[in-house]
Amino acid sequence: MPSEETKERISKVIEVGRTVLHYGWIPLIIYVGFTRSNPQPSLIKYVFPILLFLFFALTVSFRLISPLA
Amino acid sequence: MASTSLPEKDVQPVFHAPPTPVVPSYFNPVSPFFNAYDRFSSWRADLGLPHPGSVENLQKEVKATHLSNYIFDGARADLTKSLSMNPLFQVTHSFALGSQTAPSSYNFGAVFANQTVFMQGSVDHEGSISARFNQGWSANNVFKAQAQLSQQPDQNMIQLEHDYQGQDYNANIKAINPSPVNLTGIYVGSYLQSFTKNLALGVEALYQRPTPQNSELALSYLAKYTSTDKNWIATAQVQPSGILQATYWQRLSEKVEVAADLQLLSAPTRRDAIATVGAKYDFRAATFRAQVDSTGKVSALLEQRFVPAFAFLVAGEIDHFKNAAKVGVGVMIESTTLTPEEMGMVPPP
Repeated sequence: MPSEETKERISKVIEVGRTVLHYGWIPLIIYVGFTRSNPQPSLIKYVFPILLFLFFALTVSFRLISPLA
Repeated sequence: MASTSLPEKDVQPVFHAPPTPVVPSYFNPVSPFFNAYDRFSSWRADLGLPHPGSVENLQKEVKATHLSNYIFDGARADLTKSLSMNPLFQVTHSFALGSQTAPSSYNFGAVFANQTVFMQGSVDHEGSISARFNQGWSANNVFKAQAQLSQQPDQNMIQLEHDYQGQDYNANIKAINPSPVNLTGIYVGSYLQSFTKNLALGVEALYQRPTPQNSELALSYLAKYTSTDKNWIATAQVQPSGILQATYWQRLSEKVEVAADLQLLSAPTRRDAIATVGAKYDFRAATFRAQVDSTGKVSALLEQRFVPAFAFLVAGEIDHFKNAAKVGVGVMIESTTLTPEEMGMVPPP
């Protein structure tokens, strides 16, 4: 039976792994998809939607944190 | 997808091994066991038994015929964009609104698949992730993992699974929420073996260990009978605690399939039974499913494909005993950046 310290360390590693999976899984699929696809999609087409999305996301988050809103 | 490819193995030519000369080897003391094993496996290959399919897919045909897995209510839209066909890469935006049972939601999904790897992930507007990963190590060995992660720590689920397809059997081990610290979790092992050309029998063991102090083992027994022309399949699954599920599926013609499902629960405190009968019609550009069950529910689902990239769905369910009804409409739109040549379709002349 592992010691308490080892158990705690394992739990911490699992927790970190779960967080990485939570935030990294879909970006990983999109990265793999874009790099391995045949024919490779051009990213230029997506620059405008991504900028639009960032603009909206920033606006919404600013409104959420701003005390005046 | 690697896991769905179940190649029907041809009957292999039988090799009668010539008497092996005795070669000095460290295995000589145990070689009689190896020889016995080789003779046993060649005798087993001579029987030419078919692969029975996996335990998970025991009721696959019934589930594909019934509409329980497909029905929805409210309005929904699925927008799919295919960016590559081989390897497959596509992203999906799903919207659901006005359902009586589930709140409105937005869901983004991405799929990548090639010959050996299948990766799928989706995230909803609340930040919950569902992930699936399949890796085919060889034609017979498939590793599968799936996870559901949300902001609430008690709703996380991780499942690890390994599937082995033998020539006439299928073995599978599964671990749900395994904890390497104190070995809690749910562990499932299953084995399905063909005994004749038609009949396959199997067993599934479910080992639950919610806390390190208590654990519980439950066995269930499976049987599957496939007709010789594969036009009808009957399955049964029995748990000694008093649960029986029996299904029957038949292909009446190229376009019509019917399925029946009976679930019996006979515990000391509760006795219950549900019977479901359903049919599926495949038309040239539409699929229609209808189903009636013994709880008084009559339901139907029509999936009409107007053009290959646009499908329209109508679903309806009437619960006669509770006097309730549900209606759903949906659209599925697919778009692609690929030319028809790149998709592997030959344009019409």
